[in-house]
Amino acid sequence: MITSTIIIFILFLLAFGGFVAYDLATAKRRKEVYRVKSSATAYLMLLPSVALAFLFILLPILYSLGYAFTDYYLLEPNKINFTFLDNFKDLFREIAEKGMLYNAIKNTATFVIGVVPLQIMLALLLALFVNRPGFGSKIFKVCFFAPVVISLSITAFLWEQILASGEGGLLNSMLSVFGIPPHDWLRDPKTAMPCIILLSAWQGCGYQMLIFLSGLSNIRNDLYEAASLDGANRWHKFWLVTWPGLRSTFVYILITVFIGACRILTQPMLMTGYMSHTVTLSYYMYNSGYTERLVGESSAVALLMTIFIGGITLIQRRAFREK
Amino acid sequence: MKRFLTSIIALMLILVMSLGMVACNGGGEVGNEDLPTDSEGNTIVKIMFHVDKSSTEGQAYQKRINAFNAEYKDKGIKAQAIFKARSAGASGYETELQNNKLDGTLADIITFDAPNTAAYANSGLLYDISELIPKEDQDKFFSLNMYDGKLYGLPIQESSAGFFYNKKIFRAASIDVSGFTAENPWTFAQFKDVCARLEAHGVTAVDMRIDATKDETAPYLLYPFIYAAGGTFVSEDGYTADGYYNSAATAKGFQFIKDLIKEGYTSYSIGATDFFTGKVGMYLSSGWTIPDLDNKYRESFASRDDWGLLPYPKDVNAASATGSWSYAITNNHHADKTAIVELLKWMTSAESSRAITDATGMIPARKDAVKDYAVGSPEYTLLKQLELSGEERPVTVAYPTFSITFNQVIFGLNNSEVSDLLNRATTTLQDAIDKIKDRQ
Repeated sequence: MITSTIIIFILFLLAFGGFVAYDLATAKRRKEVYRVKSSATAYLMLLPSVALAFLFILLPILYSLGYAFTDYYLLEPNKINFTFLDNFKDLFREIAEKGMLYNAIKNTATFVIGVVPLQIMLALLLALFVNRPGFGSKIFKVCFFAPVVISLSITAFLWEQILASGEGGLLNSMLSVFGIPPHDWLRDPKTAMPCIILLSAWQGCGYQMLIFLSGLSNIRNDLYEAASLDGANRWHKFWLVTWPGLRSTFVYILITVFIGACRILTQPMLMTGYMSHTVTLSYYMYNSGYTERLVGESSAVALLMTIFIGGITLIQRRAFREK
Repeated sequence: MKRFLTSIIALMLILVMSLGMVACNGGGEVGNEDLPTDSEGNTIVKIMFHVDKSSTEGQAYQKRINAFNAEYKDKGIKAQAIFKARSAGASGYETELQNNKLDGTLADIITFDAPNTAAYANSGLLYDISELIPKEDQDKFFSLNMYDGKLYGLPIQESSAGFFYNKKIFRAASIDVSGFTAENPWTFAQFKDVCARLEAHGVTAVDMRIDATKDETAPYLLYPFIYAAGGTFVSEDGYTADGYYNSAATAKGFQFIKDLIKEGYTSYSIGATDFFTGKVGMYLSSGWTIPDLDNKYRESFASRDDWGLLPYPKDVNAASATGSWSYAITNNHHADKTAIVELLKWMTSAESSRAITDATGMIPARKDAVKDYAVGSPEYTLLKQLELSGEERPVTVAYPTFSITFNQVIFGLNNSEVSDLLNRATTTLQDAIDKIKDRQ
């Protein structure tokens, strides 16, 4: 593996060198002397970043893409057979038979549909709330951002204790004060995913709040003053000034939250384990590749996921493109 | 320009994929190289452990390696320990093994979890040591890591589990269990009867650990119930799940657990410390709970007069949990295994077995390393049970999938029919087995 990576890397450097030479030769032919000089420097400075990106981003993606068409088994890395579309056929059969992959897709979709609007809405509300000068706004900013800096594993563990079944769970013991019987929040298929959605939105919204805040700071104050002179109320100001001003921020947040939501893994893994009511696509992929050692199948899921997320992201970008 | 760039990217993609495949099919093949030597001419044998060097267990291994090096200095053999603590469950350790295999740096001896014997042996990772370890030496172990009739590993230590019980609660409820021993285990019916009497006394009868379905805990503790009911999970060769995992006898074992849940004798929501604080009558766990009961929770369990250990109940068979980590010689590029076998024998000797289990608190893997425990003591019960009814977990190349499906069955017992759960589990396990089998 190391040898092949070194060979591929050398080939990449040669290809990069060829590309640079071609570009410089073209510039020279066109007698663009200044471009030859500045391009050579630019390419040289670009090389470390391009090389690192190739090694640690592009190469693993390409390997994974290749493995999707093989029967790569973790314990037999020396014996990889090209199986063409067999992994994909197996995956589609599993979906048709409503197996674990079907549940993974269903749960991921539920999570995305639940968490994306909730997290963005919470982030926007928090941003609007703390975007006011006055006592306490900085404290609130810190408070709302705090969950972001806590490790997701710790957050998941804490929430597992809060949602623990029986009377030992914090939520259950609080509810018992009102005479509500204890509930098994994370084992009940009806409540497990909503709990994970709530926890994830709570954990993640602080980061988006900061981005919204930076978007809000870009909206000129005179627009609000003009709106006030025109007799606009708070809602009008939000709808006609704030919201249009936040459009590009919103698109960025929508895309990043959507991509993050599609990749959810830690919360179900730590809070419920590999169960049909909470398994997600990333968890399925992790389980296939590392637990069941079927790297080929896992890579096929990764490829399908990449195509799906990429497709939806493109649609989102087109739908929200500035006219 | 754009076309040129596209061509370069396409070319790179093809190169990467084809080179990747070729590279993966090439490296790390079994060869016949000599073992490396150090500057003093000593033959170096490498052994890889799954624990951190600074842990108690890691230190015990290192001490035994040091003792080996002192003993074998004159014979020109030197052992070198590599410690790769497990991360991300066992998968991190497995990734390490895979990488070592790929780049030809696989240690001569590795430690591995016993249920992985079939998968590792089947993939060619382990070396067949049937001929290297004399039969009389093999007989000294409680269990061996066998696959397809061949010996692939020797256990480091052994484990067994049972029902820890609160003697104070039992006395208060006038329940006498003194007659239930490893030699004379109780029956499923007697187990239920005790549960009913505990329930009538106002305590939760038993923590069966049915909530521990995120890892190997539930499969490890609960599979003996299935064997006790006469069931099994896979055929003897490990390649067929259909007709075994979903058999009537297997269903009977799971139904027993389901009945315990249905009748309220156990539940998914028993708190982790409920037994230790006197809220639950019995607690299913392994030998590692003994130090906790001896040293912690003194309010509930002041001495051993306050707690005891009962064996697994039997039905048509008696069965109990076994298994821990083992040593194996790897199928690496060192053909001459003489020095490697010397180290393996040293690490599995009675002395090493005692030294390591003294550090871990587990049961020694060798019969001649076992201490004389007082008859009726918890340690004695575990040991006797291991001797008389210890059954290993199913030997199958798709063991991780078995473990997952077992957890899913236990998780679903509350809401689903046993037969539905078992049919689903069988399909999943059979699929996984077939995928691995088809590669051969």
